[in-house]
Amino acid sequence: MNQSTDQVSPLAAIGAIEQSFATAGYICNRSIATAIFLAQKLEKPLLIEGPPGVGKTELAKATAALTGKPLIRLQCYEGLDEAKALYEWKYGKQLLYTQVLKEKLGDLLAGAQGLKESIARLHEFDDTFFNEEFLEPRPLLKALWAPEGAVLLIDEIDKSDDEFEAFLLELLSDFQISIPELGTIKAKTIPIVFLTSNNTREIGDALKRRCLHLFIPFPDPALEQRIIRARVPDAEDRLRAQLVAFVQGLRGLDLKKKPAVSETIDWARALVLLHAREIEPELVRQTLNVLLKFQDDIDTAEAELHALVARARKAG
Amino acid sequence: MTAVLGDFIRTLRAADIRISTAEAIDAGAVLGLVGYDDRAVLHDALSQVLAKTEGEKSAFTDVFDRFFSFTPFAGENPDDQPDAGDAVPGAGGLPGGGTGSGQGQPAGDLADMLLGGDQAGLQMALAEAARAVQLNQIRIFTQRGQFTRRIMEAMGLAGLDERIDNDPAVADRLIEARARLQSQVYDYVERQLELVAANAGRQLREDMLSRLRLSNIDRRDMAIMRGLVRRMARKLIALHSRRARRARRGQLDVRRTIRANIEFDGHLFHTVWKKHRVDRPKVMAICDVSGSVAAVSRFLLMFLHSLQEVLPQVRSFAFSGELGEITDLLVGDDIEAALGEALDRYGSRSTDYGRAFADFAEHAMADVDHRTTVLILGDARSNYGDPRADILKQIHDRARRVLFLNPEPRGLWGSGDSEMKRLAPHCDRALTCASLRDLERVVAELLRTAV
Repeated sequence: MNQSTDQVSPLAAIGAIEQSFATAGYICNRSIATAIFLAQKLEKPLLIEGPPGVGKTELAKATAALTGKPLIRLQCYEGLDEAKALYEWKYGKQLLYTQVLKEKLGDLLAGAQGLKESIARLHEFDDTFFNEEFLEPRPLLKALWAPEGAVLLIDEIDKSDDEFEAFLLELLSDFQISIPELGTIKAKTIPIVFLTSNNTREIGDALKRRCLHLFIPFPDPALEQRIIRARVPDAEDRLRAQLVAFVQGLRGLDLKKKPAVSETIDWARALVLLHAREIEPELVRQTLNVLLKFQDDIDTAEAELHALVARARKAG
Repeated sequence: MTAVLGDFIRTLRAADIRISTAEAIDAGAVLGLVGYDDRAVLHDALSQVLAKTEGEKSAFTDVFDRFFSFTPFAGENPDDQPDAGDAVPGAGGLPGGGTGSGQGQPAGDLADMLLGGDQAGLQMALAEAARAVQLNQIRIFTQRGQFTRRIMEAMGLAGLDERIDNDPAVADRLIEARARLQSQVYDYVERQLELVAANAGRQLREDMLSRLRLSNIDRRDMAIMRGLVRRMARKLIALHSRRARRARRGQLDVRRTIRANIEFDGHLFHTVWKKHRVDRPKVMAICDVSGSVAAVSRFLLMFLHSLQEVLPQVRSFAFSGELGEITDLLVGDDIEAALGEALDRYGSRSTDYGRAFADFAEHAMADVDHRTTVLILGDARSNYGDPRADILKQIHDRARRVLFLNPEPRGLWGSGDSEMKRLAPHCDRALTCASLRDLERVVAELLRTAV
């Protein structure tokens, strides 16, 4: 009912996470810090959804840097299967060893009477070729094997097939996997697991049930300004306020792809390179392609350009 | 506190957020971790375990705000804002205990708390009392007074009254405090009623609306209906957003077969067959938009176009007299306005199925192929004109399926100027489809058999 008193209070812990992310250059809000805190404490995977470019993958990287654990990344795609995600036997090595050890095998079997006895003798060495030596670990197994724990990032889970999603369930709920020849392998230290999704398809309920769910929306102006300050320290205060206000205004338009935080950062860098001190319609028009990636969107934005720039300049 | 969480989860479920038992257990663990100290953190933390889509998140925020809203007890120090409802940071054990009557508290307690301005204690007592009298069972607004009285009694009203009678020194202050407390308890009861009963009422209403004949639906219920359609569509999208694959037996996938058999030294134990993705159906919807059928057409179109994600190739045609394509009208977000325009353009003329089929043949027959599902929605009342069943036969020959949806009950088919008896033989299926429930069934079947 009550939190135990022998640990730091949860609020302080959440605040500390927020702080240390900020020093690591990843500016986040309370809700994200809370999610990280819960994921660590409850030892549950964290499913992160949100529009592209709001820093979903970045969050996993920052967490890895913060905890000092290795980041193991598994990029999902259609047709991803166990052999590429989990483990594979080193067939080549197995074959090579049998060739090299042929003579040894001859010695071993020497004197055996008949087929039955030979096989019985071989059985004594049954597992020689199916042990961990001959196992090629892929990302998921690597994460379970990491002695100090790891940060496992399963990126763009929505791109994988549903068979793969179902296969992940055992890993995500019990942090163990079954290999027929070896049995069940449990995690040495439970890894911190992140899954990200761009929502190109609905993720199955079974998977969602096993995860904490964090939705990262586009940041509000204040947060985005802090991000820009951390990432592009060269931008002057006034320029920063204006460019953030402009991008925020741009997101209000009916666009195919709204500019994400990563694009705001790119644009801020571009403006700093151009020695801009504040945004002007002509400058914006020339650099709009940094923010918008579709010609249709650029056309839409240009029609509104003057109004948007005027409003943004007022904000600065 | 688990009782509070239980109530909260029940309220969330009433607001259409799906929460499994496992998630409820997680929520309990989260509560143990973060406690009730910081309202914002509590909100974030619970929403991360309980609400798992964008829509659910906003519904969650809504319920959370109402469920855990407590106006501070107007006491001596009103700036002392309590956070998350009925919790007291660091409160060791609950006084009284949930199952008791709540009367177990010392009689003088309430008066002392009121005099001392003990905010946390008062809120605790209120929550306890509310649970003791089973406030979550409140259903109708006439129960408000009754519940207020019972909660006050459970909080120790008798002791308070006694104190007022016997202790003239503080009687005035206590009488005033009692009045304030009463109005606060009343507010609390009212909020709970809104939470518990409003959702139950809405669910009942939605349930009723989805069964009602679409042509009988009142204009003021349109907003609810739109929400319903959207929700049904979301459900169907979630069910069908994965594309099925079918193996083509007989065509070996050489690459993957070799890979699968490396472990057997290249001997082919496993065979892997080439697969192909099953195509999404192309849907052509031909909708009668004349008077009586317009309401149903409207919802069918709304439905089909909410399914963009799983049915990317929908073409819609509207007719009463002449027929025209309205696909382009329906691309925007504002389907409602687009439908209005479509109805203006093609509606309210005397229905002529022959003309409509002829127009369709001229317009789009070339695009009807073996992957196309043709949906026809109408009452088949052609004002005694020739319905041109021969064209429908042609469509049927070319298309993969022809479905005829008729809002009239089967018994009326063929009566008067209804040409249903002549048209139905050229359809794969002819169905009665009058309510939203029927529509959902048809669309679900469309997706199931075609994907």
